[in-house]
This record gives sequence, C-alpha cells and structure tokens, in this order.
Amino acid sequence: MKRLLSAPFIIFLLAGTLIPMGVIAYYGLTDRSGAFTIENILAVGTGDHAKALGLSLLLSFAATLICLLLAFPLGLILKDSKLGKKGFMVFIFILPMWMNFVLRTMAWQVLLEKNGPLGFLGIINTPVAVVLGMVYDYLPFMVLPIYNAMIKIDNSLIEAAYDLGASKSTVLMKVITPLTVPGIVSGVTMVFVPSLTTFAISNMLGGGKVNLIGNIIEQEFTTTSNWNLGSGLSLVMMIFIVISMAFIEKFDKNGEGSMI
Amino acid sequence: MKNTSFGLNKLIKVLYLIVIVLFLYLPIGTLMVLSFNSSKSMTSWQGFSLKWYKEMFTNDELMEALGNTLTIALWASIIATVIGVMACIAMSAMTDRKRSIFMGLNNIPLLNADIVTGISIMMSFLLFGISLNYGTVLFAHVTFCIPYVILSVMPKFKQLENHTYEAALDLGASPLYAFFKVVLPDIMPGIVSGFLLSFTMSVDDFVITHFTRGAGINTLSTLIYSQLKIGVRPTLFALSTVIFVIVLLVLVVSNFLKGDEEEEARKAAKSGKEYVYKGGMSTKKTLAIILAIVVAMAVAIRFTPSTPGEVGEKGVVYVYNFGDYIDPELVDAFYEETGYTVVCDYFDTNEEMYPVVKNNTADYDVICASDYMIDKLIKEDLLMELEFTKIPNIQFLSQNIRDFMEDFDPGMFYSAPHTWGTYGIIYNKELVDEADFAGDVSWGILWDKKYAGKVIMPNSIREADMVAAKLLGYSMNTTDENEMKAITDKLIEQKPLVYSYANDNARDLMIGDNASMAVITSGDVLYAQEDNENLAYVVPKEGTEVWTDCWAVPKSCKNYDGAMAWIDFMYSYDAAVANFEYLTYAIPNTQLEDYEYEDYIEGPRVLSEIEIVNPPEDVLARCETLQNLGPEGDDMYSKYWKEFKSQR
Repeated sequence: MKRLLSAPFIIFLLAGTLIPMGVIAYYGLTDRSGAFTIENILAVGTGDHAKALGLSLLLSFAATLICLLLAFPLGLILKDSKLGKKGFMVFIFILPMWMNFVLRTMAWQVLLEKNGPLGFLGIINTPVAVVLGMVYDYLPFMVLPIYNAMIKIDNSLIEAAYDLGASKSTVLMKVITPLTVPGIVSGVTMVFVPSLTTFAISNMLGGGKVNLIGNIIEQEFTTTSNWNLGSGLSLVMMIFIVISMAFIEKFDKNGEGSMI
Repeated sequence: MKNTSFGLNKLIKVLYLIVIVLFLYLPIGTLMVLSFNSSKSMTSWQGFSLKWYKEMFTNDELMEALGNTLTIALWASIIATVIGVMACIAMSAMTDRKRSIFMGLNNIPLLNADIVTGISIMMSFLLFGISLNYGTVLFAHVTFCIPYVILSVMPKFKQLENHTYEAALDLGASPLYAFFKVVLPDIMPGIVSGFLLSFTMSVDDFVITHFTRGAGINTLSTLIYSQLKIGVRPTLFALSTVIFVIVLLVLVVSNFLKGDEEEEARKAAKSGKEYVYKGGMSTKKTLAIILAIVVAMAVAIRFTPSTPGEVGEKGVVYVYNFGDYIDPELVDAFYEETGYTVVCDYFDTNEEMYPVVKNNTADYDVICASDYMIDKLIKEDLLMELEFTKIPNIQFLSQNIRDFMEDFDPGMFYSAPHTWGTYGIIYNKELVDEADFAGDVSWGILWDKKYAGKVIMPNSIREADMVAAKLLGYSMNTTDENEMKAITDKLIEQKPLVYSYANDNARDLMIGDNASMAVITSGDVLYAQEDNENLAYVVPKEGTEVWTDCWAVPKSCKNYDGAMAWIDFMYSYDAAVANFEYLTYAIPNTQLEDYEYEDYIEGPRVLSEIEIVNPPEDVLARCETLQNLGPEGDDMYSKYWKEFKSQR
C-alpha cells in the first residue's frame, strides 16, 4: 500500500531523468545520419577538447578547494556562535539566490572590470576571475552541508576528548573532522560538478578567453548545432557524476551531509 | 562544563564572518546601486534616478516574465513537495538496499550538470514530438525540485519514533488520521525547508529553463538572457532589488516571530509550566507569509489587464522576433491603426529560432531573422513568398539594401529588411593615438602591440573570423582549409593583446573606458555615444560585414493578411522613427533620410548626414554579407574556432 505512494516519484524519475539520459546516450552514440559511432565520445581526447577539459578540471578543483578552506572554519565558528540558529544560517546563504544568477554573475563583471571598483586586482578575463565566480556561486553548497554535519556532532564527544587530555588540534583532527566527512563529501561534489560543467560563469567573467568544456558543449547545442557531438561530450561529463555518486554512497550513506 | 568551542580569538571569528558575508552580498549591493543609475550603462555612474522603477511597472513583458517565474516556482514546488513526501513515506517502508538505490537515483538531477539535465529533457520532448511550452518548463522544474524535497524530508523520517505512529494505530486511529496527527507534525520542518529550497532553486534557475522553455515563455532569467543582444535594461536590476528586499523583509520578520516563540518556550520552562509544543508553528508562519505574498503577486500580475485587453476583430498576428528588437509601444499602435492584435515572442539567436520554425512547434505569422538565416530558410523551403502589393510601404525601402539582398534573397521574394548595419571599430579618442585614426584605418590596428590589453574582439565565430579574414584579404565566407588555418593563426597571434572577447557588453565596456577599441556593430554606436562622447566609429579600409535582419513569413502562417499588414506597418514613417529612436539601429527606410536626430555629440542632424547610420557608397562597396555555409562549413568553422579558443 505504502509503496504505491512512490508511483508519481518513479514516473518523474523515469520521464524526467532516466529517459532523457537514454536520449542523450542515443544521440551521443550516433552521428548526424543516425549510424552508430563512438567518435563523439572519443572526441574528448582530441587536442582542443582535452585542453578545455583539463582547464575545467584544474579550475573546478581550485574552486572546490577554496570553498572547502573557506567553509570549514566558517562551520566551526557558526557551530559555536549564537548566530548558529539553524534557520538564520540557511537564510544568509540562500538569500542571495533570490537575486537572479545571471545578474549576480554580471555584477561581479561590473566590479572586476578594468575601471570597476575592484579593477585594480586585474583579474577580469583571466581564469582567476572564473574561479572567483565559481567560489561565489557555489559556496553555499559547501557551507550548508558542512555546517549541518558539524551541528550534529554531540558536544559531549568533544568534552570527553578534552577530559581524556586531548589537545585542541587533536580534537579537531580526530573528532570533529572525521565526523564532518559526510558533509565535506557532499559539499565537494555539490561544488565540483557544477563548476566543472559551467559555461555561463566562464563566458561572463572569462571574457571569452577561458574556454571550458561547458562552453564547448553549449556551443555544440546552440551555435554549431551538432547535437551528437554535444551529447557525446555530455556523456563523458556524466562519468564524473557517477564518480561523485560513488563517493557519496561510500562516505555519506545516511544523507547526513545534506545541505538542508 | 568545559568549553567545547573552537576558540580562535573572538575578534578574528567576527571579522571572518563579516568578510564572508560581504563577499556574498557585495554583488547584490552593486546591482542595487545600479538600479538607481540614470544611465543605461552598467559601467559608468551618471546620477541618481528612479526612472527604472517607474518603467518596471509599465513594462508588460517584464511583469509577464515575473508572473511566469512565480507561478512556475509555486506550482513546481507544490507538486514536487507532494510527490517528494509521498516518495519518502514509501521509501521509509522499503528495505535499506532498495532505499539506497532510490536515493542514488534521486541524486542524479542534483549532481547532473544543469546543461545536461536541460538538454536531455529538451531532446526527449522533441524526440517524442512534444512541443516546448509552459508545461515543459514546469515539468523540468518539478524534476529538479523533487530531489531537494526528498533530501530534506527523508532525514526527518529517520528521526521519527516509529512507535508513536503504531501507538496511534493501536488506539484506533486510521492510518491517514495517524499520519496527519502524528507523523506530519514531526516531518513538517523538513517539508517546509524542502518547499522553500525548491521554490528558491526554481526562481534562480536559468540553464534548465533556457533549454526547455517554449517560444514566448520567459522567466526573469531567460528574459535577462534574451536582452543581452541589445543590452540588459536596468529595469531588471530594479525588479530584482524589489524582489530581494521583499524576501529579505519576510525572512527577517519571520525570524523575529520565531524568536518570540522560543522566548515563550523558555519562559514556560522557567515557570515550571509545561510548554505545549506547537508543532513547528513558526516555520508554518514563515511559509504562510511567503506563500501569501507570492500568490498575491502572481494573481496581481495575472489579472493586470494588458493592453489591448481583448483580441481585435481581425484576429491575432503572432510575431517571433529577437528580444527587445522593436519599440514595444508599436504593438498598441498597430492595434489601433489596423485592428490586429499582436502577440510577440522572443528568441536570442538565429540558431535558437531555426528549429522552432523548422519543426513548426508554434504557429508564427511573422518572424525576424538575419540574412544568412533567411538564405537557409529559403533553401529549406520554410518560407512563404511575400505579396508586395499588400505592403505598399515597401516603396520606401532603400535601394542599397535591395542590392545587398541579392546575396541571400535574390529578386527579393521572401523577406523585407527590418534593420541593418555594418561592423567596424569603435574607439575612444582619449585612449588612442589620434594619428592612428587620422587617415584610412586598417583592421591591423587591432593587432598593434601598442594597444595590448585594450582591444575587445567579438565572441562569435563568424564575426571574429571576418575580422581576420578581411585583414588577410580573404572572403569572410571562405571555405578554403588553408585560408581557415591562416585566419585561425592570425586570431591566435592576437589573443595575448585582447582585453576580452565580448558581444553583448562590448558597448558597455567602451562606455566605461575599459578598453581603447572594440569591434562593434554600427547600431550600437549612437547608443554608446549617448553615454560617452569620446567614442567614434570607423569602418576599416579592407572592408567589412554588412548585415540585414529581415521580416519573413514562415509556412506555418495562419494570418497572412495580418502578417502583411505588420510588415507594411513597420515601413510606415511613425513606426520607422519609433524603432530607430528605441534601437538606434539603422532602419532601411528612405522616409527617415530627412529625420532630424538629436545627435549626442554633434547636436541635431538629419539621418542621411550621419555616416554611422548611412555609410557612404565607397564604404558599402567594400562590404560583404554573411552566407550560410551548410553543416560541413559550420563544422569546419567550429573546429577551427575551438582550436583558437583553447589556446592560452
């Protein structure tokens, strides 16, 4: 009886996720005339695509690392502070999303432009600006899971560690960090994957000089209208999603590091 | 009790928090400031003004996009919440193994790149012959909202004490009653946060909407994106500011309400009385307030009569055009003059319009398309011939444009030009060596090391290639492999000197003195000069691209006479003037030659004297039109473009 309740979910899963995946796979594995080919997949290894993928990996890795380095201490601070009332934190980090994504990223462009208020940094139209945009747009996806994992840590565990003579750094390394792993893992995937595949951020902040794999895919679908190649490259992107899912499955079985 | 906190110095902690919050809210503050800028430019401040706030309320398109954004978000999050909660109930009864499979599948849309989700859903719809419309956007939004609901509700189920539910059943409650009275209150906070998160994600989404929306369905995100062709209008900043402030107020107020409740609980605890837990009242309150506001806004927008309120007796003409590419007031004027009601739909690029017309997914009567696309549409037999006897005003079409039309519509059977222009170099007189621009200018100036880091090039394949091709003396429509290689090498050579590759915002960057020169289309020049009088325009001696955007009638047309009337109306004096003043793009209409334009630099002048709008014969003689090269040609250009782009 209860199982019937999952029917609409399964329908959406099928129609909204699995069938579309199948369609992408179909396009990705055929050429314009409809004949089977794996060329669209192998195309990722050719010079220009590989270069773009390499740059994407590098930049999204940097963005993820920076997000992690920013979010972890933030989680520690918020865990203790009175501000750490749950609703309020979620509120601070979700609120910017009510200002439209395209506009928010455009605002960074305005700030960083040569004659803009932050123009002296000289980072506009460089990979650095793109990383900044990624960190800005996806930081909430790192902060919230880490924060959520941290506030779930039982304070008596920490007290016990101190009572047993642990130093601050030991408590941090041996108690808090291991217990935050589910949050870290889900935060890392939630930042890494969208950074890896973005095209809007690199377009707006990279000045057209930073060519990521997302830009190539987008171009295949919009300007060049080679849907087969675009689909093939998208399929390659999905490898990274599968890897992320495997990580989550391993470290965050119970969904403890969810962002909410 | 020992201090369990991780004691860094308190000051450092506070500073750190402040820095992070500043980082998060700096761009938002910037947009708010820009919404009060009296200039259209994003890069230069020209005084305080409230005009964008006024314009916001009178802009029907904007209000419609806002309405769509809110109703889609509302429906998507309601549907996703119901489905998600039902799924959670079902999953809580499953074995661990089965549940983890479902949770894994549930993660896919969350982890999947937006672009892949959007494209895959779009392709599925098209494959199954479902045309894109409001419903497809809603479907896609429900799809990506469900995971958020499940992720926030599922943990609550795990914390649930199962025996309270069983106890209720033992005491004779029906399963449904027990669910609503025992389970629901406990999972309510999860439902509320899932709902709010869904709503926020739906409002914020751009990529997925971009790919799954049908013609004429705009949300705020896609409206902004479609305005990039002409330049984002600050009304959007104003609207975003208003939305942001409303949400901020709601959340702050509800946070206060929550505070009161906790206070109450603490007092009750102190006085020894038992505090009756109100089952997540505060979150319910938040939700209620937000819902009420959203519904009120959506309803207000839906029922605001848009003019003209009723369909004219002669029926509706469906116009499919680039975003913001006519003076919006002409729609009403056309209705008053002819009795036809006009419904406008928008696209951003020719490439986006093409599949819609080809697959006939919507029945448009008139479309606007660029020269090379007209050529493609004619060759694929997708256009109807125009009956020029029904377009008497076509007599005002300028002769030089008729000549250019030979390249894409020989004999002029299928199209009637709307706007036209050339590509050239806009430069800032203060930021360049005047001697360089004294005589004939070559495209080669863009390769001059003196201007390293001060040059803006187009960020589109054909236009960037055109610049290099002209410099090398090739045709801009070359399909010769060796010439393509040379063009690509030339562009790669230039790359270190380029400030940015930009289409939409090149004009804005020039207004804000961010670069010395940019490749730009002539139509943008008058607009830019309005805000920066140091700007000037030149067409290089090697020649350039001349482009024409034309009206045409697709085979799907249902109201042919209406379509003819629309095109005829566009050639009337009043419409031509209105379009010119609104767009500052050249309108190929001989009646405009004597029109006196308030030139921002030189004062009032008649249009025929403004070379930017009306290039002299010798300039036009050096121009070439862009041609459709077919799939093989497109693939070759794309291949070399990628090679150029991936060079660092």
